[in-house]
Amino acid sequence: MIQGMFDSGALPALERLAQFTESRHRVLTNNIANLSNPYFKARDLDVKSFQAALTQAIEDRRGGGGRTNGPLHVRDTAQLFFRTDGITAHADEIHENVLFHDQNNIDLERNMQRLAENTMTHNAAIELIRNQFSLIQMAIRERP
Amino acid sequence: MFNSLDISTSGLIAQRTRLEVTSANLANRYSITDAQGNYSPFRRRMAILSTGDPSTGSSEGVHVRTIEQDQSDFRKVYEPGHRFADKDGNVNYPNIDPAMEMINALDASRAYEANITATEATKAMIQSSLRLLA
Repeated sequence: MIQGMFDSGALPALERLAQFTESRHRVLTNNIANLSNPYFKARDLDVKSFQAALTQAIEDRRGGGGRTNGPLHVRDTAQLFFRTDGITAHADEIHENVLFHDQNNIDLERNMQRLAENTMTHNAAIELIRNQFSLIQMAIRERP
Repeated sequence: MFNSLDISTSGLIAQRTRLEVTSANLANRYSITDAQGNYSPFRRRMAILSTGDPSTGSSEGVHVRTIEQDQSDFRKVYEPGHRFADKDGNVNYPNIDPAMEMINALDASRAYEANITATEATKAMIQSSLRLLA
């Protein structure tokens, strides 16, 4: 019954989103840490494939009947392995920028932009989860 | 939703590259030999900017298409005793005018700041719409 409560509505999807943004944050901060490390190549997690996997999982849960509760089974992507207690991520090197003379290819600006986007998405996911929890609390206490 | 951030970031990268080119020009104002030590005065470099951003595949934004060399005449300095002096006693120095480079540096850094301001505005907009949602 408790598990059913946490598997209802958007909560499981939001949980996956928060896990993904957390993994991506780790990758992006690692890029910044290696900013002046020769031969380092910037890494990133593919947002599009994560979103496609999440969309597919939500579609599967709906199953044509418009069901909005039950656990989400997200299929693994090339970089992301969805476990019950989190996501294991293997970030790929990205080859988007010309190499600097030290064979390092980090665009600091692009990396900072991704970091800002990721932080905002993470905050939004956490805020939405907080809202859902306050709804559950309200239901438990039977008063707002 | 994050599209305008992509545009501002492409502007940041382009202006930073421009500033790097300008810095290289200023640093090489007296470079008259190449890396191998052969007589070949440094030519002024220019970053050529184009619309569109290949790194995101978008037609919006800006990118540095190429870095070209300025083909204008070298600065001649009369130094008869110099080992690279020509028959008139002149040595070719790079065609770099520090005043011009300083103006370009100032312009690039102002443009960079403008893109930062646009980014901050976009971020504030996104955050306030997220507050509306959550």
